[in-house]
Amino acid sequence: MKKRLIAMGLTAIMAMSLLVGCGSGGSNNTSSETPAKDETKKSGYRVAYIARAQSDSFAAWLANEIMAEAGEYDDITLDVFDGQADDEKENTAIENAISSKYDAIIVQPNNGEAQRPYVEKVVQNGIIAITTNARIDGIEGASSVDADPYKQAAVNATLALEQIPENARVVVLNGPSGNFHADERRKAWQAEFFDKRPDVKIVAEDFANWNKDEAMALMEDWVIAHGEIDAIISMNDNMAAGALEVVAGKPGYEDIFVYGVDGTAEALLLIQEGKMTATCLQSAIDLSELILDTAHRLLTGEEKQIDTDIAAPLITKDNVDEYIKIYKERGLITE
Amino acid sequence: MVEKFKKSKIMEKYSIFIVLIFMVVICSLLDKNFLTKNNLTNVARQLAVGTILAYGEMILIISGMLDLSAGSVLALAGVLSVSFYKATGSLIGAFLIAILVAVICNLINAVMITNFKAPPFIATLAMMTVARGAALLYTKGQNILQLGKYVVFGQGDILGIPTPIIFLAVITVIIYYLLRHTALGRSLYAIGGNEEASIASGINVKLVKYKVFIINGILVGIAGVLFMSRVNAGLPNGAVGYEMEGLTAAIVGGTSFSGGIGTTMGTLAGSFIIGSLNNIMNLTGVDSYVQQIVKGAIIALAVIWDIRSKSKKTSKVILVEEKQDKQLNLNLN
Repeated sequence: MKKRLIAMGLTAIMAMSLLVGCGSGGSNNTSSETPAKDETKKSGYRVAYIARAQSDSFAAWLANEIMAEAGEYDDITLDVFDGQADDEKENTAIENAISSKYDAIIVQPNNGEAQRPYVEKVVQNGIIAITTNARIDGIEGASSVDADPYKQAAVNATLALEQIPENARVVVLNGPSGNFHADERRKAWQAEFFDKRPDVKIVAEDFANWNKDEAMALMEDWVIAHGEIDAIISMNDNMAAGALEVVAGKPGYEDIFVYGVDGTAEALLLIQEGKMTATCLQSAIDLSELILDTAHRLLTGEEKQIDTDIAAPLITKDNVDEYIKIYKERGLITE
Repeated sequence: MVEKFKKSKIMEKYSIFIVLIFMVVICSLLDKNFLTKNNLTNVARQLAVGTILAYGEMILIISGMLDLSAGSVLALAGVLSVSFYKATGSLIGAFLIAILVAVICNLINAVMITNFKAPPFIATLAMMTVARGAALLYTKGQNILQLGKYVVFGQGDILGIPTPIIFLAVITVIIYYLLRHTALGRSLYAIGGNEEASIASGINVKLVKYKVFIINGILVGIAGVLFMSRVNAGLPNGAVGYEMEGLTAAIVGGTSFSGGIGTTMGTLAGSFIIGSLNNIMNLTGVDSYVQQIVKGAIIALAVIWDIRSKSKKTSKVILVEEKQDKQLNLNLN
């Protein structure tokens, strides 16, 4: 009987902890209601950041940078909530933030259309709403801060126009199907490169869902199936790095062109080593600075509504060193 | 009639290998590159991690349990191992750390299941979320880069044979020996078949369950090292869902969810069937969505074929016994 009670109790505690973990999300503060370390700040504005997921490395980086940037503002207290890559959970988190009467709610959507009605609710409740990465277009009264995924791919595509040899055979790695950033980047490659270079042949194309290991497995099979491959065109750096892992330094692939997006630390190092050709920086640092700046302007009433973008700089061997320097200063690259 | 009996016995014992041979033949016809040394080496290398996890799932399922935390624990063990190597430069130390971390997580699983009688599904599900959270917390969600010599585990080779394949081969032999020729192996089948009877016959069920989880921990730890070194990064969100792949390979290979049934070679065959399927579809450029449908269909077919070929034996035995009974009655009368 005793053992049964203990077992039931333990199961109940585990189940509760699962629910609590799912419900309020993984805030990096000790409690989501009353963050202890922020009590020392002057009573100012309470801001909620609803992250799409803290388990994909870009989203995690952005969340980390937003928290760091918020620390620079004396009058802003920031709480982070994790949508765990699940529309239900993210929508619930938005509703909870509305009930908790935050002054501003920043939403990084998992799926724009799924979060749309909830961001509209934020506005209806008189709370400042900002959507980011990727923005949700056309919500009355909401603001947005984003990077333009079309531009991010286009800068690579324009470079590729002159770099990729005639009659080249290329492979394409796509992000998750239906993902706005993935789709826009692919659109850019189509319009800015493939449509302009009909001589280039796509020998293989598939979804690697932003993941390094998936891209690796695909590239291993493609190398067998197609032999000569002149370029890897990837919608993000993780996948590019994964495919590169298979062929870097191997005979016949020394001159392979590799393009990605994001400007991750890994990509910058690969570009510096001459293995990767180019990427476009999607700086979570710049994004977080712009987000907090936008939030502050809206909170203080300086502006009523803002839509703004960060830049989409191309990074190649020529300028990679200065970006690596920035990463080293931020501790994102060691040694 | 005796001949029919023999044939059905072969079918029942080797049915999954027949499926595997069938698959290999079809694949080699679909693409001339399939049976090349390069490609088969690739497939084996890609399968190493999944098959090692499948062995862990297999021994757990045979003894009536399972492990939903394999993918997450793999990630946790892997990132801590990578981190340790970067801090100390010791490959052996990093290898052992991975095993240590995975064994600790699995011991916690064992305590929940054995001492507190939590259902394995729930206990390992809890560990799945805890281990993943721990991995993400430790790395702040970022990938660990610049692994240096750590990649030798997953990308090196000995005498031309890739190291993951060597790991897989050695582990296959060990697990095979464990299940077939040790008392521990036999007790796994006993416990899975009928736990009360095993207790009654003097098997220390609790101790056996602990040992099984420790073995699973060792397997998951090794898989973690191989995975991270293959992708050349410490990925805290890597190997998501790998426990399902391990379970699938074990089930396709003939391991029964009701416990007490399963073989090492069967699991290996199951893993290769699924792996060849993925490989041939990539080689021939099958659309990604179609791949998912085909994969699910073939897994279902393989399992149904396997179950049917086993149940045929049972029905034939009943027929034969009935007939023998009748003859006996006639003689007596």
